[in-house]
Amino acid sequence: MPPWPGPRRWRLHKVWAVVRREFISRVQSRAFVLSTILGPLFMGALFVMPILLEKRQTAPKHVAVLDGAQGAFGRQVAERLTAEMRDTVTHTLPRYRVEYVRAEGRVDAARDSLVAMTGLRKSGAEALDGVLVLTDSTIESGHMQYYGANVGSPNDMSALNAAVRPLVTAARLERAGVDPSIVNAAERRVDLRTERVSDGKLTGQSGSASFLLAYVMSFMLYLALLLYGMQVMGSVVEEKSTRIVEVLVSSLTPFQLLLGKVIGVASVALVQLGIWAGTAMVLTTYRVQVAGLVGASSKSVSDLPIPTVTPMMLAVFLGFFVLGFFFYAAMYAAVGSMCNSHQEAQQSQTPVTLFVAAGLLLMFSLLSEPNGTMAHALSFVPFFAPFVTPVRYSLSPLPWSELLLSVLAMLVGLVVVVWIAARIYRVGILSYGKKPKLAELARWVRTA
Amino acid sequence: MSECVLRLDSVVKRFAGHTAVRNLSAEVPRGGIFGLLGPNGAGKTTTIRMIMNIITPDAGRIVLFGGQPASRALTSRIGFLPEERGLYKKMRVLDHLVFFGEIKGLTPRDARTRTRAWLERLGLQDWSTHKVEDLSKGMQQKVQFISALLHDPELLVLDEPFSGLDPVNSQVMKDVVVELAREGRTILFSTHIMEQAERMCDRIVIMARGEKIVDGRIADVKREFGGNYVALSFGRDAERAGAVLRDRSLVAQVDDYGASAEVRLAEGAGPDKLLSRLVAAGVGLVRFEVVEPSLNSIFIAKVGADAAVARAEEVALA
Repeated sequence: MPPWPGPRRWRLHKVWAVVRREFISRVQSRAFVLSTILGPLFMGALFVMPILLEKRQTAPKHVAVLDGAQGAFGRQVAERLTAEMRDTVTHTLPRYRVEYVRAEGRVDAARDSLVAMTGLRKSGAEALDGVLVLTDSTIESGHMQYYGANVGSPNDMSALNAAVRPLVTAARLERAGVDPSIVNAAERRVDLRTERVSDGKLTGQSGSASFLLAYVMSFMLYLALLLYGMQVMGSVVEEKSTRIVEVLVSSLTPFQLLLGKVIGVASVALVQLGIWAGTAMVLTTYRVQVAGLVGASSKSVSDLPIPTVTPMMLAVFLGFFVLGFFFYAAMYAAVGSMCNSHQEAQQSQTPVTLFVAAGLLLMFSLLSEPNGTMAHALSFVPFFAPFVTPVRYSLSPLPWSELLLSVLAMLVGLVVVVWIAARIYRVGILSYGKKPKLAELARWVRTA
Repeated sequence: MSECVLRLDSVVKRFAGHTAVRNLSAEVPRGGIFGLLGPNGAGKTTTIRMIMNIITPDAGRIVLFGGQPASRALTSRIGFLPEERGLYKKMRVLDHLVFFGEIKGLTPRDARTRTRAWLERLGLQDWSTHKVEDLSKGMQQKVQFISALLHDPELLVLDEPFSGLDPVNSQVMKDVVVELAREGRTILFSTHIMEQAERMCDRIVIMARGEKIVDGRIADVKREFGGNYVALSFGRDAERAGAVLRDRSLVAQVDDYGASAEVRLAEGAGPDKLLSRLVAAGVGLVRFEVVEPSLNSIFIAKVGADAAVARAEEVALA
């Protein structure tokens, strides 16, 4: 007899063969090459688009201030708005072009004629972007009315509000008899600057940067789990519908096959994510040069909130990605094994996909309160921990004990899910005909 | 060479509602070609799946290579061509075959060398870097066939290997199978095409409705079945022969192929009597030969009757 390798070595050898097959046939596919290239292009576009868009929106807003109030208040508002500047990527420009109109007692009529000139589709010098109406009651009640084409933009509205609010406060204080110089001093701007502290050390990273990181990471997790999880399912369905599975199962155990398949697809995912992350890093490191290419100033880009990724953060992210991937891929494989065609599988994967989507949604809701009770609890639920824990970790440092506990919960969940999924898979890949009912599935799990 | 490569001991397999294989016992000796025959639904594929350890029998035992229970550890010694062919469409031919070799325990390098040799032998050497989906159906079948014997198995299990093949490819595969058998390997193949089995097999088992009907060397099976058979071919006037062949005192059964026929003579009627009647009727005989019964007539005689009985049982049960 020929010198076959011993049984122990064999088992790994066969799993390795399946891993390699899954990896090579996927990496060679047109879809992989295309998505790997398009991913960074898309990222680049995300990076460059805001710069380009902002360049176009540099025209100051043409605003009329209709002053129906007593005294100098209306004029002060008009002056303040005229002085408002806005930083764009390339220049610092006035935010408003202000038209000051004194109402002379006929506020409603003046307002109507101004509104008639607002938001005209045919833009000309006369057209207004908005009308701000100030009356006597503005100072007491704090109510002012703005009529404009841009009322739907939260940014524009909060900028307008922020510009006028201190003037109202100052006018109130002056009426109460406070010294105008004190009012002036009190009126000075307050600016909250944030910096992330991790493990007792300053990170030099702003709050918005770590938020951005968490946001991007969770989205990548979601996409990778969904896309690659479905690839595992597709691969199972392919083998089943072409009956290749009969040859496979006569040569290796269903578990070896499942293991090889999941590892193979996971390594494809890691390679693709690696390429994307590498591109993102290059883009952000050389952002000044990239911005230069599209004609933006270097100052504005270097002020962008760019997060720094520590090795530990990367480890947590990758660790949870791998755990989460195995967790969900096992489920997708089980679903694939129950189905006879890709269409059937597409319909049947909804429950699993709902869990993935729920993970993403929950994670978004946790961004505002990363250390709340809900966030704590969800870190120990295997379905959601792959999303919640790395995002929490990137937002605020987690104690080691909590991190380990989350990993442990994930591992326990993984063992349970893989055990059930492998049993369904074992029976499913050789069962043709009608899709099993739940009771039947339970029998598969018990008897396999 | 009396050693058994494969032994089935009262093997039973039930599926929801029906018994696919009922108390099947058989022995496949080492070397030669063994045919597993039977109509569709006889339980051939189920039997083969149990041999390949894809499914496990509900009762009974399957013993391989003189004493070892069927298991995946033996897979490197067995080659398998499943009834329903399937390949990864997007994979390249060479990669595909290397993968199949590897899961049978070959090293990648060894698998590659053997794949190249087989591709050349079956005339596919120019296609090794093409994707499977670019190949014609016949070429895909050759690829599948190579995948079954790449690792040089002692036992080759082929489920309906010749179904859907054109005559040229059929011939190529038959030549390979015969050569492997000559080298001392054992080939077990299932088919419902009797002519093929008759020409190739040393031993056969005929199954019907999950049960074994016939078992033995082909020559023994034919002798036991007995009867006086005559093979006829007509040059012209096949209709005139019809009248003679319908005479029940002379002919018990006719397997009519139009221009030729296989005839079982009635009890007590000799071949010479039939010959003189045919000549008298003016039938232009091209061939008149006293023969052993063909496997096909044995098959139809045995399985036809049995299937009818089984069907009656089913009706009674319902």
